[in-house]
Amino acid sequence: MRPENYQSKNHPPSNEYELNFGPNHPGIEGNYALQLKLHGDEIVSARADGGYLHRGFEKLMENRLWIQNIALVPRICVPDPAPMELCYSLAVEEISGFDVPQRAQWIRVLQLELSRISAHLFTFGGHAATTGMYSNMYWGVADRDILLDLFEEMTGGRVYSIYNIPGGVRRDLPEGFLDRVSSTMDYIESRLPDYDNLFFTNQVFVRRAKGAGVMNQEQALEWGVTGPNLRATGLAFDVRRDDPYLVYDQLDFEIPTEEAGDAWARTLVRRHELMQSIRIVRQVVKALPDIGGPIRCPIPNPLAWNVPAGEAYSRIESSKGETCYYVVSNGGDKPYRVHVRGPSSMHAVQVLENLVTGCRIEDVAQIMFSLDACPPEVDR
Amino acid sequence: MGNEIIQWLDNLLADVPGVGYHRKSDRRIRMDVSSETLPTLLELLRGRASYVHLSAITCVDWIKDGEFELVYHLWSYENNTLVSVHTRLPRSPGVYLSVYDIYHPAAFFERDIHEMFGLYFEGSPDMEKFILTEWDGPPPMRKDFDSEAWARRKFNFQDYQPEWLTKLEEQGGGVAVRPEDLRDKIRASEADE
Repeated sequence: MRPENYQSKNHPPSNEYELNFGPNHPGIEGNYALQLKLHGDEIVSARADGGYLHRGFEKLMENRLWIQNIALVPRICVPDPAPMELCYSLAVEEISGFDVPQRAQWIRVLQLELSRISAHLFTFGGHAATTGMYSNMYWGVADRDILLDLFEEMTGGRVYSIYNIPGGVRRDLPEGFLDRVSSTMDYIESRLPDYDNLFFTNQVFVRRAKGAGVMNQEQALEWGVTGPNLRATGLAFDVRRDDPYLVYDQLDFEIPTEEAGDAWARTLVRRHELMQSIRIVRQVVKALPDIGGPIRCPIPNPLAWNVPAGEAYSRIESSKGETCYYVVSNGGDKPYRVHVRGPSSMHAVQVLENLVTGCRIEDVAQIMFSLDACPPEVDR
Repeated sequence: MGNEIIQWLDNLLADVPGVGYHRKSDRRIRMDVSSETLPTLLELLRGRASYVHLSAITCVDWIKDGEFELVYHLWSYENNTLVSVHTRLPRSPGVYLSVYDIYHPAAFFERDIHEMFGLYFEGSPDMEKFILTEWDGPPPMRKDFDSEAWARRKFNFQDYQPEWLTKLEEQGGGVAVRPEDLRDKIRASEADE
């Protein structure tokens, strides 16, 4: 909403005032706004205001060829783009009945987990910054950069890889790449004690985050929360294990949970998940050299590609939760309808409004970052 | 485990008339129901069949049939199966019932569908605009909305022709081949073969 058009709808009592938190605010993720109503520094009510990042992806996709959309989808979630392109590809594969080669599936897992690690590092940094610890943010972004180097080598793109296409992946891994992945994993793991000392056991963080934005399991299920936010309330649910896709059923990993359901628990779950992702990447690095074969199945000419009529709902676990694509084809060369269900559409709107109400102004940014809200997924 | 769920769901669905039931794969079930029975079915699935998680509500505009298709994707944390409930309703007058009382996440999706397709949900807690706050056109995700025509009518295009672009075009540069042209070419060559 443009500022000149903003008018207070209800005249608040004289001891309350309104505050626009965002869309350009250092404490908010992306371009997103919260219209807060405050009494002193306590929040009486909150209203999410989205749309600043709306680029009309769903409509754009209906006007583009199946293959052109691959370049479009990763832009839907900036910090964690790999699951988006994969999810779209999985849906198209399901409609087309493609049989994706094993090697491609393992490479996809590698890309997904690296992306998850980089997204989590980013989130830790964000959450630390909202509690006043900027060093951790610099560390997180610097370590993420090393992973972006890997993406650049693997896919050609640092952030938006445009690497998965329906049928497989675009190119094979470069020579010696797995060794570099392995040494990067060693490096990230060696950094974790530093992160623990600086951030996770830091009393500034622990005392600020414990008890902030508490949600119990019942509320989380009622509000449709998924991903690490749900696991922080004690429910061990992960799409990777309970609705497996790719080769996740052949991999050995645990699903970390916490009971508290507050900002501290949510960030701690992500920290444990990062360890599990490193574990998965190591398994992939070990297994990949023995898995030969093609990296994609034969696909039609991309510019004259008609996907048979049908519909598919693909569902994967991104760093933020359950990411789903509903794709409908009417047999044409363009999708008839693509619906993107970003996990943040749940926890960045209703849940955020509910959790923020009653807390104090200084905790708003912290709660938003602990939920790992990603506004571009909401706006699409 | 798989067969048990099918049998058990079959027994359950005996209560609801006119449910089209199709098992797509191990963990995917498709159901087709009329728009009148949908709220009853959802209540059954949530209350008696543990489908507590509403993953998404999708709206598809089938303009040739004059219908909207609504798809409710439900997940059960106990059965580990995803049920997609499909229903169709006429495009006009474009009013349907909200399922907010059954599934709270529906509020967001219904608000989104109202904004993008113009389908109103009675009983939804909040139908105000969320994404297209200052939008005054028709609902943009409808199939009869042409974004390009709208943009041409709505905005004044600047004639942007800098010197470097003119030079580039003189040398034969600029946009090389539009994908549509290339596709037609490929189709023609395939037809020749």
